[in-house]
Amino acid sequence: MSVIDILTRVDSICKKYDKYDVEKQRETNVSGDDAFARLYGAVEADIEAALQKAESASNEKNRASVVALNAEIRRTKARLLEEVPKLQRLAIKKVKGLSTEELVARNDLVLALPDRIQAIPDGTAAAPKQSGGWGASASRTEIKFDSDGRFDDEYFQQTEESSQFRQEYEMRKMKQDQGLDMISEGLDTLKNMAHDMNEEVDRQVPLMDEIDTKVDRATADLKNTNVRLKHTVTQLRSSRNFCIDIVLLCIILGIAAYLYNVLKK
Amino acid sequence: MASSDPHKLMVKADKLTKLSLTRWSADWKSATQLYEQAANGFRVAKNIEQAKIAFEKASQGQEMLSSPWDAAKHMESAAALAKELHNWREVADFYRKASELYNECGRSQPASDALAKAARALEDAVPEDAIQLYTDACIMLEEDDKEQMAFDLYRAATNVYIKLEKYADAATFLLRWGLAADKCNATNSQCKAYLSAIIVYLYANDFKQAEKCYNDCSQVDAFLRSDQNRCATKLISAYTEGDVEEIKRVAQSSTISNLDHVIIKLARKLPTGDVSALKKANAVQDEEPLDENDLT
Repeated sequence: MSVIDILTRVDSICKKYDKYDVEKQRETNVSGDDAFARLYGAVEADIEAALQKAESASNEKNRASVVALNAEIRRTKARLLEEVPKLQRLAIKKVKGLSTEELVARNDLVLALPDRIQAIPDGTAAAPKQSGGWGASASRTEIKFDSDGRFDDEYFQQTEESSQFRQEYEMRKMKQDQGLDMISEGLDTLKNMAHDMNEEVDRQVPLMDEIDTKVDRATADLKNTNVRLKHTVTQLRSSRNFCIDIVLLCIILGIAAYLYNVLKK
Repeated sequence: MASSDPHKLMVKADKLTKLSLTRWSADWKSATQLYEQAANGFRVAKNIEQAKIAFEKASQGQEMLSSPWDAAKHMESAAALAKELHNWREVADFYRKASELYNECGRSQPASDALAKAARALEDAVPEDAIQLYTDACIMLEEDDKEQMAFDLYRAATNVYIKLEKYADAATFLLRWGLAADKCNATNSQCKAYLSAIIVYLYANDFKQAEKCYNDCSQVDAFLRSDQNRCATKLISAYTEGDVEEIKRVAQSSTISNLDHVIIKLARKLPTGDVSALKKANAVQDEEPLDENDLT
């Protein structure tokens, strides 16, 4: 049998045997006549619902839904607190079929109601009860001191550790400020230097342009000269002229040698 | 030829240039060559006076040969030698002549450089002439749209003014510097120049002028947006409140430490004069108009 089947069967069985449920009958019977009991029952149900909502809020991860749930809880609490005086008035009324002990009990119940309502956690700071009534406080986001401004109680004196801690914190903060001051000074100097460098480079741009044109002109001149030189040199030392020079030189040497020989004889 | 006595060379060159019955036109080319050699010889021999004369004559020769560039170069050498002889008038004259010759070549930068060298040489001896030379050099550069190069000259001229304790002139010159910087979009230099001018006025105890200067400079957009403007505002307000501590603190700030060191020295010496008297003067001024209103 699956779970769902079990559940449906259980539901149907319960419905069948509902008429044998004594407490429920009493409740319906009682609440039929008794306004107090009716109202009290409603308030109790609301408180239960609010508590459940508070629990789901504490387990909720989404902040927006937490906020929405908390707001609802607060609204419910406000409404319930309004109902409490009504309940009080109904409580002291005498209802037939009720013993004096039950009347007193009802009064006590009503008196306990405001505390119970206040105790529903709604995410806001709530004053902690002196008697340790922290029952349903699952999610406290802030801590509030509720000591009526009496701070000379020994409980509130700064322990040695805490004052040391505070001192250290102040010292560190001062050191940080000093460091930041030095950094700011350094940055100022850097900024000034950068500005000056910028202006200097701007100054040198036209100079570089001038150098550029002049060097271009010089290169062109050099190229020109080189070409002309090459032409001249080839003209002067072309191989044909060179051979002619050598031949003529040999002839002259031959003539000189011949003359020498002739004269020697 | 180079090894022969420079005196002999000089004599020879003189002979070539002097006109006489046998010589109808001076031979400047060879004469100039001889003069240059003689001048170098004298310089090596540390005969400064003769070297100077030789350079002068060489420059003249080059001028005759229509090469103003070489002529100007020789003039500069002559002037440098004159500086060693502490002959200040000659220094000024030679450098001016050199600058004119450079201008003939159409090169304004070397011309102004020549004047600047003259001014630097004369700074200690004849400061007024030095200032005149600096001003002329700046004008020469500005005419040629080379304001960027003039910054160093402005700085040097301002220093000379401050040394002479002519604070009003110094401040005016600083404002001219600011103008030059504005033309070439050098905002940092411009703002620094304006701040320096305000400090100079304050040092000279002329609070009205300083305030006027501050108001004028605040019209300039670039200055209004700068660090230097904030520093100036703090300084002026510290003065109006008569708060000596605040003035000293502002003077120690990094903005002022980025200025020229001469200005920093002035700033560190602030406040001169009686600042509380200034405060009273301001307070009295505020009351007087009220009295007049009461009477009417």
